[in-house]
Amino acid sequence: MKQNNMLAMILAGGRGSRLHDLTNKVAKPAVSYGGKYRIIDFPLSNCANSGIDVVGVLTQYESVLLNSYVAAGGRWGLDAKDSGVYVLPPREKADANLDVYRGTADAISQNIDFIDNYDPEYILVLSGDHIYKMNYAKMLDYHKKNNADATIAVIGVPMKEASRFGIMNTDEDLRINEFEEKPPQPKSNLASMGIYIFSWKVLRKLLVADMKDPDSHHDFGKDIIPTMLESGKRLFAYKFKGYWKDVGTIDSLWEANMDLLDSNNELDLNDPTWKIYTEDITTLPHIIGPNANINRAFITQGCEIDGEVKNSVLFTGAKVGTGAKIIDSVLMPGAVVEEGAVVTRALVADGIKIGKEAVVGSADSENIELVAKRVKGVE
Amino acid sequence: MNRALGIVNFSRSHVHVEGLQDYRPIGAFSFLGRYRVIDFPLSNMSNSGIEYIQIYANKQPRSLVEHVGTGRHYNINSKRGDLHMLFSETNIANPIYDTDIAAYVNNMQYIERSHQMYVIIAPSYMVYTMDYSELLQTHVESEADITLVYHSVDNARESFLACDTLNLNKQKGVLSIERNRGTAKSKNIFMDTYVMKKDLFIELIEKAQKISSLYTLPQIVNAQCEELDIRGVAHRGYLASITDFKSYYDANLSLIDVKTRNTLFDEEWPIYTRTNDSCPTHYFEGANTKMSIVSNGCTIEGSVENSIIGRGCVIKKGAVIKNSIILPGAIIGEDVHVENHVVDKYAKITHVKEIIGTPENPGYIKREDRI
Repeated sequence: MKQNNMLAMILAGGRGSRLHDLTNKVAKPAVSYGGKYRIIDFPLSNCANSGIDVVGVLTQYESVLLNSYVAAGGRWGLDAKDSGVYVLPPREKADANLDVYRGTADAISQNIDFIDNYDPEYILVLSGDHIYKMNYAKMLDYHKKNNADATIAVIGVPMKEASRFGIMNTDEDLRINEFEEKPPQPKSNLASMGIYIFSWKVLRKLLVADMKDPDSHHDFGKDIIPTMLESGKRLFAYKFKGYWKDVGTIDSLWEANMDLLDSNNELDLNDPTWKIYTEDITTLPHIIGPNANINRAFITQGCEIDGEVKNSVLFTGAKVGTGAKIIDSVLMPGAVVEEGAVVTRALVADGIKIGKEAVVGSADSENIELVAKRVKGVE
Repeated sequence: MNRALGIVNFSRSHVHVEGLQDYRPIGAFSFLGRYRVIDFPLSNMSNSGIEYIQIYANKQPRSLVEHVGTGRHYNINSKRGDLHMLFSETNIANPIYDTDIAAYVNNMQYIERSHQMYVIIAPSYMVYTMDYSELLQTHVESEADITLVYHSVDNARESFLACDTLNLNKQKGVLSIERNRGTAKSKNIFMDTYVMKKDLFIELIEKAQKISSLYTLPQIVNAQCEELDIRGVAHRGYLASITDFKSYYDANLSLIDVKTRNTLFDEEWPIYTRTNDSCPTHYFEGANTKMSIVSNGCTIEGSVENSIIGRGCVIKKGAVIKNSIILPGAIIGEDVHVENHVVDKYAKITHVKEIIGTPENPGYIKREDRI
């Protein structure tokens, strides 16, 4: 807390049901991405790199794996004195019944006691399921400079897609005067990224009132932000430039992985000044056999490849047998494609085995095929 | 295995690995892309349940200290266990005085203060895996005074030349320890790995000191062969002794072969190392990689064959890497052809287009060199 008096709270309770079988057992923030990462590594690493010491992670849906994963704060360097990652699932309290988090704002409200322990001046509220690199310290400077009550990070989206997002309408100084959720006729293209900095005193008061409001959805976008705007609070939009992706579907998760194959991909995971940290897995480097043919690929440690890999991303420990072909595909951790099998435009889930000579996916499919069950091969 | 103190020893003064050792001790040599040689003895000890480990360092310990750090990545209990790096005074006037015995004498208080009954000593310059808890069990059951580990080889004429050998009787009793002079094909290569009671170890150190200030541990053990019950235990599996440039080169390349690799690596016996948080490796259009081991954080646009690529290397368009070991952070420029070479860390080869050695006589490019 010493570094910048800002505490971060990551909302990681969402299921991400459009990711189908990938989120049957884990919450969306725990879904694997980019060869060796999980999505939540991005906000956590951003926090660590931005000099934030205390991070609360609000978990709810299928949180067993996520809880143990984020509790090891040392992975992101968040384990110094007065620093840590704290897992905050809903809990029973002396004066309240055990209740699930009723909305994004309620998740914070139910942990006011946790936040008060640290007595922060500012609070950063993040979503645990977005992929991007951002320096929150710069956003805080902007918040302070504007003497703002709240600052909301926004990204310019194409005008014709703006009606899919929560849109911020601002004046010339980027002071927000209106927030519209999925407007049919958008007035601006500044979409909310779900990243908020609040002055804690202001937010605390609003949350206490919101908890008691029976008509509230207890949601930042639906309730807290509109209330702030109505009461004339100072809300500013903070423009973000760079890679940002909310991977809501199998297609968009696949696409986000494919983005890494571009030689000038904006995310640039190889930037030594802004590393994304993750779990340290004990494996060999990746091993390439005599029959391998690798062209445009992103491959990580523990993989063993003796087939063709083209335009694909291979996650930790994925195996490609002799003569197998992986084209325009994503192999999640531990996926095994046996000899001669062909995988095209598919996303093979964690640990799934595709048997000898089997054929999965097709080059002209409209959607990416999710392979979440074992595919038998030719015996 | 709380009964044993683990000691990881440095290489003796007659050993010198050309080039690489000018910058760091052998234990800190990059191995197989993401490891350092010392990861092997430390992982062996950790996997065997040894919780107290001393690492002896003498010359240029910087990169060793940096790599080993707090030792947390070796999976040693952070409260009950301890990984202790110990330094010895180097003798500037004459390095022949920098013996292992001198290092133990320098740090005697830490050896005496440890609570363990036994010591298991392993070298920081050999690559092998071994379960030391089994070894200790064998030692205790045999009631021998000292147990030494050896590996029978049939290429001792041209390999393992800086190593010692064990001369054994039929009952595996050690008759003598001698330097391998390349006089015979078949030899029992001594793996510089010892088990004995700590009290005996201290006694031997004191004895050695009285005889000669140049004495080493194998020499004093050799001198005791008649008085003490010293036995050999054979090691099976993979062994590489990184004691000259060729052995470093050969050991790395030998592990590209899957059969050989399976004699060293086992999922049940993880080899730990320090993570560098590098992102996965990016292969570009036109890349062509075969029979190689590649670490994370690289960008590869050229061809790589039968080679080891360290973390964070850049292989530019048209570059060809063959039968080579590229250490972390090296940059191989466009159309540069590197064959049978070890390219040390952060070297950058751009102007010279052909860097060719032979398998028998591989070449070396210096650390941070610009060519």
